[in-house]
Amino acid sequence: MAPKIEYYCPCLSESPHPPPPNRPSSSYSFHPLHNLFFCEECDAVRCNRCVSVEVSGYYCPNCLFEVPSASVRAEKNRCARNCFLCPNCRNTLTVVPSDPPEDVDSRMSPIVSTTLGEPPFFLYCNHCRWDSAEVGITFEKPTGLAAQLQKFEDSAPEALEFERLKEHFEPFLRASSSSSALPSASSHHVHTNPITAAASSALARDIPGVGKYNPLSRSRVGREKGAHRQEYPDYKSRVEVGTALSGEADVEFLRHLETVSQVAALEQRWTNSWVSPLSASDLKPLRIPLQSKKSKRCPSCRHILIKPEQKAQSVRFKIKLVAANYLPAIAVTLPHAQAAIEMLKRTSKTTSAAAQAEEQQAAGALIAGHSYSFHLAFTNPLYDPIQVRLAKAIAPAQTAEGDEAAERARRSTFQIQLPSAAFPVGAFAEAWEYDDEDEAMFLDDDGMEVVEARGKKGKDGRGKTRSVGIVEKRANVTIVSGEVLIPKEARGDVKFNMLVSYTYRSDDPEPSEEAQTGTPSRSHGANKGPEMKNFSFYTVVDLGSIMYREEPKLTADL
Amino acid sequence: MSTVPATPRRHAAQESMMTTPQTTRVASSHIVQSSPHYPTTRRHSLYGTEDRIILDPGSRIWKVGFSGEGKARDVFYAGGEGGQSLWTLNRASKPADREEEDRVLEAKLEACLRSVFHNSLLTDPKSRKVILVEHPLLPLHIKEIMARILFNNLQVPSISFASSHLLALLAAGRVTGLVLDCGHLESSVLPIFSFRPLYPHLRTTPLAGARLSTHIKALLLMFGTYIPPATSLSATMNIPAATRSTRVPQDVLTDKVIDEIKTRICFVGEPLDTEGPSQSMSPGPGDDLDLPPSDPAMSESEFSRVSADIDSNFSSQHAGSSSYSVVSHSQLAGMEHGQSAQSGVQVLATMYSRHSTATDIHMRVDPPPSQQTGTGRGTLIIPGWIRERAAEVLFEGGDVDESSVAEVILDTLLKVPVDLRKTLASSILVIGGTPMLPGFIPRLQAELTRAVSQTSNSSSSSAAPSRAGKARPAVYDRYAALRPLLPYFAILNNPAPPPPASANASANAGKVPAFTPAMMAWVGGSLAGALKTGGVEVQREKWDEAEAQSDEDVPMESSPPRPAGGAGVRSSPAKNILPDWTRSPLPVGAPPAARPPGAAMSSPSVQVAG
Repeated sequence: MAPKIEYYCPCLSESPHPPPPNRPSSSYSFHPLHNLFFCEECDAVRCNRCVSVEVSGYYCPNCLFEVPSASVRAEKNRCARNCFLCPNCRNTLTVVPSDPPEDVDSRMSPIVSTTLGEPPFFLYCNHCRWDSAEVGITFEKPTGLAAQLQKFEDSAPEALEFERLKEHFEPFLRASSSSSALPSASSHHVHTNPITAAASSALARDIPGVGKYNPLSRSRVGREKGAHRQEYPDYKSRVEVGTALSGEADVEFLRHLETVSQVAALEQRWTNSWVSPLSASDLKPLRIPLQSKKSKRCPSCRHILIKPEQKAQSVRFKIKLVAANYLPAIAVTLPHAQAAIEMLKRTSKTTSAAAQAEEQQAAGALIAGHSYSFHLAFTNPLYDPIQVRLAKAIAPAQTAEGDEAAERARRSTFQIQLPSAAFPVGAFAEAWEYDDEDEAMFLDDDGMEVVEARGKKGKDGRGKTRSVGIVEKRANVTIVSGEVLIPKEARGDVKFNMLVSYTYRSDDPEPSEEAQTGTPSRSHGANKGPEMKNFSFYTVVDLGSIMYREEPKLTADL
Repeated sequence: MSTVPATPRRHAAQESMMTTPQTTRVASSHIVQSSPHYPTTRRHSLYGTEDRIILDPGSRIWKVGFSGEGKARDVFYAGGEGGQSLWTLNRASKPADREEEDRVLEAKLEACLRSVFHNSLLTDPKSRKVILVEHPLLPLHIKEIMARILFNNLQVPSISFASSHLLALLAAGRVTGLVLDCGHLESSVLPIFSFRPLYPHLRTTPLAGARLSTHIKALLLMFGTYIPPATSLSATMNIPAATRSTRVPQDVLTDKVIDEIKTRICFVGEPLDTEGPSQSMSPGPGDDLDLPPSDPAMSESEFSRVSADIDSNFSSQHAGSSSYSVVSHSQLAGMEHGQSAQSGVQVLATMYSRHSTATDIHMRVDPPPSQQTGTGRGTLIIPGWIRERAAEVLFEGGDVDESSVAEVILDTLLKVPVDLRKTLASSILVIGGTPMLPGFIPRLQAELTRAVSQTSNSSSSSAAPSRAGKARPAVYDRYAALRPLLPYFAILNNPAPPPPASANASANAGKVPAFTPAMMAWVGGSLAGALKTGGVEVQREKWDEAEAQSDEDVPMESSPPRPAGGAGVRSSPAKNILPDWTRSPLPVGAPPAARPPGAAMSSPSVQVAG
């Protein structure tokens, strides 16, 4: 698998430091850059786990009808026009007319047959050939099908039974709630346990047999039966389970089952709250669920981060504050793996795809006992050049527990070297605005720093062929190289947290911003100049997992 | 009625007569003008706070929807496509592992809850009150995580917690009953009298959906047949399938396949005892002590341990539960070769297959990843008797810790006040996903009858199996006290009630609305929401207040030592704000140090609010 990098969203947690990268739970707080948002007010990254979402409009994904919110509820979040899903394969159903009748009959309604087709219309699935006539659903008109079905839905047995149950309990609850107020969680009421409010109101009465037994009620005991019946009239079901559908039939059906597909899958019948036949041939067409256009807000300052255009057909946004426009995009590559893949592509044309994939994986593997260089390509989305500084995130002082220490020891089995000096990334511009002169100018401007970085590397990385520093620089992309050294006994994934801080020129100098403690490194970045600002964020770099098997023949030439 | 004049029982008969709801004609006048659905909900605006959101979060399947509707809007696997459960009955023992486990759970729950509001219901959480349908034994830490996500991340205005058993009873139109919830992880029975859940009498057993799945898997590994896809298309023609058939490789039986088998083709057959199993079993090896062929129940439970051991998830529960299971462990270690276990199970299989008329099913399955060489998909042949008899594992008990589904009901009945026994016995309600198996409820009824009546028969003939206990000679008549109740046993939602033996039974058996067992709790929640009741409500202000307070209490302790905590990890919130019955025995205002040990987890001490 290819090495990858993900960005950290602190999600309003108190500590700005990311969790250690090796925990399974950590993967939930790192996200690909294209999933992140950026709040300008808070100057912080936001993700889909922490933004608050509001619905700005409902529409049907099939007919793109914008459903007014007033009717969304009554239509149960489903399209109330002609959009249906096949119950078997979830494909969209089409309305088809019946076959034209014989010539003799066709004289009866010539107009209808020419424009729309013959009256009994039904729904038909183009994928699995299911049609609604199988379950006895046909329509007189080819439009407003859902409205025609609505009356079946309204008179569904569960809805009727539900209303009846409500009527049954309502007077009882009204009577009892008048005597005692509903308890709340914090009250001094004795019954602060999760009995329903109905229960607690029932508790207010004295019921013979349990609880508040007192001699006064004893006097009533003689005719308790009659009195009791008055209090709790037994609910009489509209449709009793014993008569609704016989369980025997289901058992017999299953006993003589021939194929699995005769029985509807669990997912096809689990929303039914009313007992319904098991067999797949009884499934009804489904109205297509509506979808919503969502606007997203920053969880702390409530500013809008994403606001889509209202029209269902439009895919544009009125407001779109995505992190990709603010943070440099980083791409990780392992040059040795790429070289190996290139070579494999050239040499082995004949091997099967599966084998090739396997070889590629083997070629890109990180083998214990070697050191590899990796490239980080920074792409600047800003219109000003930025200075980027990298640091390997050091986990803040941890409690010296036994297993924590062990984990740390395990984690630091590999060593990472990153370019320590700041390096520049050019400003973003349209493609045609870059030319050779610009690039040359960049080199002139920043050449010193490149040399400096190289020189620094020369001191600590003496004797090694690979460099830790800038590899390539063009347009708004700078590629730097780092190095990972894997000892022989290392295990697991090469995964580390990296702190990226960059300095950019701020358009609007706002001193109040500095007071806000978003990230720790911002304050010392402010010293550089009045209009330069610093932003830093955490990432996790995943270079792949370490292979234990020694495979010298593949790596020797790299 | 043939009542023995024992003093407590006489009371029971008398008292319960008054409390038992008898059929009345009072309600019948309302039938005609039952109002149509929409007019009654019309006054609710789309974002009115009157419509509440009903969340029924199970360990695997979640049901969500709006109150006032007879049907959930959405049902989904919470643990992802594979249907893994979000939590299990176990927790990691090391504190560090447990913390990590909780963080993963929190991340998953957050994803689920956010998707409920944003994708399933398409509504704004900030204006929606929530009714959380909670299982009485829902672990407190999970409840706390859910509340934290709902209040902090989604900012719902309030959460009400309502007991699933009670809500299900509400959906059945009753206020009194004995509710059995047979879910994925465990089955639990809660007696409820007149809206009051009698929590101290709650009884549970781990025999539920998860156990059934492992049992099906174990049975298929032994008795199923797998035909791998032919290696070439011509081979399909030439080589008969019979020669290609093999035993089932373990990789074929993924959780998804097992789940499909369980939910689509399994059912529950009638008990076999009427056939007189001791006669039919005589050809088997009768001298085997551990697996007496005359006792199908016993050997079946043996086998279920085998199956449990195959599935590593459950092995820890069984290991060392008793010396008895150690014996069975050693047996199953050599299951392939060991004669006794093999033959015992084989005997069982032959007996079941002889009595089963269910058809064998050929099911197309994906071949295991190691054998992806063939053409197309493999075929799994599931014997008919497995389809019919896999659920036997739920009905045979005899284990102290794992009583059968019927026994757990009877145990509860033994625990409840004598006065209530008759009433409760005649209003048993069965809910949960596992009773969706066709034939489950009628079988449960039969098992109840058998368990109660059996010991009396066997006391005369000592050789007959006593399923109440393993002690053979001195017949421990566990359910003797319940025997007079025999004619009163009635399951409210029994789709095929037996001919009623008493007025009570005939008034109750199969008389409730035909809601599916799996949906009962949700429908009850919806009903409670529509009636504007529904449990103790916790407002967000209260939560924020309590949380702020707890932050003050432990200002330095909670944030710095958890630097690595990341996203959701929090300062421990004020958990006492969440109502839970396990905390109820204490008088309100008692010092928090006196919390019951079961409920106590490492938490900062917070004043009991109020």
